[in-house]
Amino acid sequence: MSAGDFYFAINATFRFIHDTYGKDALIDYWATMAREYHAGSAARFRSGGLAEVRRYWADYFAHEPGGDVAVRLTERGVELDVRDCPAIRWLKDGGREIVPYYCEHCHTVSTAIAEQAGLIFTLEGGGGVCRQVFATNGGVA
Amino acid sequence: MIGVQDFIGYYDWTFEYLRRNYGEAAVRDYWQRAISLDSQRHARDLIEAHGFDGMAEYWGHTLAMEEAGYTFDRGADYFRIDMFACPSKGHLIQRGLAAYHDYCEHCMGWIKPMMDDAGFTINHEHNHAGQCYWEMRRTDDRLAEPPPNRGPHDVRSLPPATWQQEQHHLYVNSERREMIGDT
Repeated sequence: MSAGDFYFAINATFRFIHDTYGKDALIDYWATMAREYHAGSAARFRSGGLAEVRRYWADYFAHEPGGDVAVRLTERGVELDVRDCPAIRWLKDGGREIVPYYCEHCHTVSTAIAEQAGLIFTLEGGGGVCRQVFATNGGVA
Repeated sequence: MIGVQDFIGYYDWTFEYLRRNYGEAAVRDYWQRAISLDSQRHARDLIEAHGFDGMAEYWGHTLAMEEAGYTFDRGADYFRIDMFACPSKGHLIQRGLAAYHDYCEHCMGWIKPMMDDAGFTINHEHNHAGQCYWEMRRTDDRLAEPPPNRGPHDVRSLPPATWQQEQHHLYVNSERREMIGDT
């Protein structure tokens, strides 16, 4: 598969788990992925704090194909201003039917990562445009 | 966000998650329904419509994008890929990732159903170390044995220290052949 195909596979994976095993199973898949596969990222966030969170996401979106995402460290915490989500963009441009719960994975996965790191995660928006915030427990996110 | 840059890692992890929670059959079901029929429908469309030319177009684009180490070979009755450095398996090896017990099987898992539906059969061998070959022929063009060595570009011509490493899985006419030491 090529890079763009991977977004197709991610979308198809969500649909497969949802349609075969149900929505709770899909949420468990996302949460378990966060706890197991992303345990290293959570540990780095915990040790490196918000500076590491900012560095991670800035680097991450710099290596995704397309999209328009600004990552800033503000008084609120680390803000991800997603003006054009690279995944949603690629899926739309590829003519794929995006599962209606696609964006929920960001909330579930990042919430679980944040909890492991002692942070709070919030997300507003969806459908390709959203604002995500990682804040410390003392923050106001 | 689950992005594409580390997709291979959680693709492998997903196989193991499905196996652990729903059994081995669920992994096969996933490769067929989610990957072959849904994600890779554009590959299906190309190959069902254009046969060997569709294979060349699909994998020519895909493997170039993945910066794979490979060669293509076309004969009157076959289309062939020799993979010297699989970028997908290489990604896992470089990072020490092996959540699922047999990552390489996912290719047969999604490509075989596609070839079945398009009227082709697969002759394939992989060594679980990033080297493999694929020789697709029309369904009625069955082989009694694995295809002959195609020359210097044939992955089987690699030094034994490279090609013979790790356990091999062999498919002839899309059917698994038992090999010495096979499990």
